[in-house]
Amino acid sequence: MSLYHTAQAIEASALGQTIRESTWLFPAIESTHLLALALLGGSILIMSLSILGWGLQTPVAEIYKSAHRYLNTAVIVLVITGVFLGISEPVKLYGRQAFLVKMISLVVALAVTYFAFNPLVKRGQSGAALRLVTVATIAAWLMVAMAGRWIGFS
Amino acid sequence: MLEELVTKLADTPWSIALHESLYMYAITESTHVMSIMLFVGTIAMVDLRLLGISYTKVPVSQMLSKILPWTIAGFVLLVVTGAMLFLAIPIRTYHSLWFRLKILMIVIAGVNIAIFTFKVERDKAAWDLGPVPRKSKICAVISLSAWACVIVFGRLIAYNWFDCDSITSPTMAELTGCPLDPG
Repeated sequence: MSLYHTAQAIEASALGQTIRESTWLFPAIESTHLLALALLGGSILIMSLSILGWGLQTPVAEIYKSAHRYLNTAVIVLVITGVFLGISEPVKLYGRQAFLVKMISLVVALAVTYFAFNPLVKRGQSGAALRLVTVATIAAWLMVAMAGRWIGFS
Repeated sequence: MLEELVTKLADTPWSIALHESLYMYAITESTHVMSIMLFVGTIAMVDLRLLGISYTKVPVSQMLSKILPWTIAGFVLLVVTGAMLFLAIPIRTYHSLWFRLKILMIVIAGVNIAIFTFKVERDKAAWDLGPVPRKSKICAVISLSAWACVIVFGRLIAYNWFDCDSITSPTMAELTGCPLDPG
């Protein structure tokens, strides 16, 4: 079964139909997606600003203790609501460049956050490498947000 | 009077240019969304500190002095891009129930910030690192709820459920400033 046929099958599924045909479901999921995006931005920025010397003076490893919970919550809510949004209109998303860009930048953002940013912050590291990773993390998530909004326009 | 103003705005070349340029509108909308991450994101972190449930090792005074400038920067970005989005579609947005509720929530959040700044945080030296007082928690809950509503109502402006052409009740006509459709 090709990717396009898979998209068609998901679109025809009961869940896809339910979300698509409901007046409130899609907007409600979309709004939750946005609320979680704000939480993601806040949790990453409060650590990043401190690393870059523009924020809190408390050691970053200490800030991480609170921030990583919000970061994880935000990522989980974003992925779940995102999957539901995708299930309701996979045929529209199939072949849409903005969606492809979003998925690629999402993989990059998740990888940079969980394999580089978080471990470095947790260990209380500092220095040029961490600052570079921090800038890359922010850039990747901004790209995800921008491409995500763009899906609605393309 | 406001009705005349938005009608005039809609006829300006700026409004037409924004409305008709797909890229400019999309860029403005995307910047608005990214600015939410900065604005609501940072204010939420401050509120979580003011609730006393997170960042408790960070003094409240430091949280306010180091993080709030970023929140203000985010707010400026949101107001500029928001004004551009309004300018692109002035008449429909002016009548939008969700837009009106969003502005109401921003006003409530603004009053809450004023109360916090001029009353609640005055004696913060006494609770900079200790247990936060009830008044601080109340402000934080109002702030978190109000800004969450602003995000949700803002997103809902895009939906046409209560546009002028679907208004049938006198109450809704009153709330949206739309003429009541006799049909």
